Amino acid sequence: MAIPSTIPILGLPWDDVLFVILAGTMLLAGLLVVTMRDIIRCGLAMMVCFGALAGIYVMAGAPLVAGAQVLVYIGAISVLVLFAIMLTQTKVGPTRLVFQTQAVPAAIAAVILVIVLVLTIGATQWGGNGERGETVTADLARVLFSDWVLPFEIVGVLLLAAVIGGVFLAKRDRTAATDDVE
Amino acid sequence: MIRVIAGAILAPVFIVGLGLIGLAAGGSRSLDAYLVLSGILFAIGMFGFLARRNAISMLMSIELMLNAVNLAIVAFGSFIPKLGAGGSVIALLVMAVAAAEATVGLSIVIAIYRNRKTPLVDEYDAMRQ
Repeated sequence: MAIPSTIPILGLPWDDVLFVILAGTMLLAGLLVVTMRDIIRCGLAMMVCFGALAGIYVMAGAPLVAGAQVLVYIGAISVLVLFAIMLTQTKVGPTRLVFQTQAVPAAIAAVILVIVLVLTIGATQWGGNGERGETVTADLARVLFSDWVLPFEIVGVLLLAAVIGGVFLAKRDRTAATDDVE
Repeated sequence: MIRVIAGAILAPVFIVGLGLIGLAAGGSRSLDAYLVLSGILFAIGMFGFLARRNAISMLMSIELMLNAVNLAIVAFGSFIPKLGAGGSVIALLVMAVAAAEATVGLSIVIAIYRNRKTPLVDEYDAMRQ
């Protein structure tokens, strides 16, 4: 059975409705990340936010970026954040005061930033023809490994350096202890 | 209790308003809708970074901001034909750099936590005393 091109009763195309649902999920989860008291729940809301963003990448015509988003953000970075939360949680539980004293100015600044950005976006001609293109993965691979091969290699070295640095920073200082043992 | 009531009122208003904005801007077929979405997500991340007390919450807010920038890059890449596949390539590189940043940032937070026994940034005041 064929699915109709628009939603039967409302007469809206599926794309728009799906986009609005994904965008609403993403923004709501983002708001929960910055406002909830229990930080573990903040981490879980962050995973929801990244998942909805992966859906938006698919709608924007970048399926490989969506796959990488699921792998890197939901699979790796969220788990890393959750582990860090478990390592740094104090036994007294969630703190009573979630926000700093500068929360109200920060909220005002955020609202002003949104207004300025929306006005700027509305007033600018971006030069596209208004058509949404699809990024073919074969093209992406060709560009990535020909024009962008030097940044690609540099990012590899950067990741290696970051992993070694992270291990070095987070490991316990054992030099004194081993000196005593030997 | 007040928080729950305010949330219950604000959330549907927020979603309906967002839906109207999205449909008015042409829904999923216009670049502006993606850019506005990216701007709002960036502002949420900025608010979280400035307002939260917990260092890990601040790192999560930075991740939100990086994702907002990535969304803008991907949107530009798919709506402006001159860029070709470059937008997606830059988005992938940004993701790799974000992973490196998360690794180093979280290990710094863990190292500080081991010294000061608290993840709250407003208690890191050794330089002020």
